[in-house]
Amino acid sequence: MTDLLAIRGLTYKRNFKVILRDINCHVESGQTIGLLGANGAGKTTLMRLIAGSAPHFLGSISVDGATQLVARKAAVSFSEQTNGLPLNLRVDRAVAAWAAWYPDFDREQFELVAQFMDIDHHARLGSLSKGNLKKVVIALSLARRAKLYLLDEPFDGIDSMTRKKIIAAIIQWKPFDATLLISDHHVGDIANILDRVMIIEGRELVANEEADDIRATGKSIEEYFEDVHAGRVQHD
Amino acid sequence: MEFNAKIPIYYQIEQYIIREVITGHFDAGAQLPSVRELAPQLAVNVNTVQRAVAELVTTGLIVPQRGKGNFVTTNMEVIVNLRARIVKEQVATLYERLNALKITPSEMEFYLHQYIQEQEATNND
Repeated sequence: MTDLLAIRGLTYKRNFKVILRDINCHVESGQTIGLLGANGAGKTTLMRLIAGSAPHFLGSISVDGATQLVARKAAVSFSEQTNGLPLNLRVDRAVAAWAAWYPDFDREQFELVAQFMDIDHHARLGSLSKGNLKKVVIALSLARRAKLYLLDEPFDGIDSMTRKKIIAAIIQWKPFDATLLISDHHVGDIANILDRVMIIEGRELVANEEADDIRATGKSIEEYFEDVHAGRVQHD
Repeated sequence: MEFNAKIPIYYQIEQYIIREVITGHFDAGAQLPSVRELAPQLAVNVNTVQRAVAELVTTGLIVPQRGKGNFVTTNMEVIVNLRARIVKEQVATLYERLNALKITPSEMEFYLHQYIQEQEATNND
């Protein structure tokens, strides 16, 4: 398989503070990866850097061979991009805006995901509950025909029924050869859909392991994450 | 299907498919649902199911047919051997547990035999 995402020597500073230090990783196409770390560890920042929405960093990031900011933006579907939508917009207007902004937006795909998740097309974004807004964000993100999907904390503050629904949608609609990076500050429900687990701790990428390799040691992903967090796992 | 969080998921799916074949839910020669159909049903990702199927192809239980999909083998020898292996594994577990309780082999035989007769008696009622 080919490397869909390659990050080399990535260091990012803001206001003279180091946010991420010397991140190195390769990700194959078709994989689903959990990006884990405590709140404030730098997960969202890493996603912004990959998606091309944060410039001025050291090192290199390439997505499907593209290193230029603009090319990366086009290849990546990032859930945070929906933050730019005005909250007084109705869902169907948001969909139209998305279709106009992103040439790879697949309306049919959106309708399938929307129907599966019971999305109300006439509600205004600002009137939706937290869970229903997340559903719209997931549907918009998954409906782009991208090589790489970045979902930032899709389960934050979401009830377990909605979480299951979102996970089912991800399994069903992620294109087979596309790569998906999901960040979460606790592993819980997503553990079963992950091929690989990456953990950010203290501004560094401290673990990058295959999920079933972790389980083969008799540890659950959750326990592994806790052990890394507590410094009980040795890494290079 | 509920998964054990401390055992590789591909392995649990592999075992699940073996059980389905041995118990006759999937007949010899039957077509398996596609990997893309199985993934949402099991609530895991496609790669994980793919790996489980690949392992079963290696053991010979599943035979892929180009352009058609995956089929349970029609080679009964493979199924019979697999069945024997599963029985041996279960017996080994039982033996280890009883052995840890200092139960002698003849006692094990006696109680197993007695249990089977009791079961048969209740089933015939």
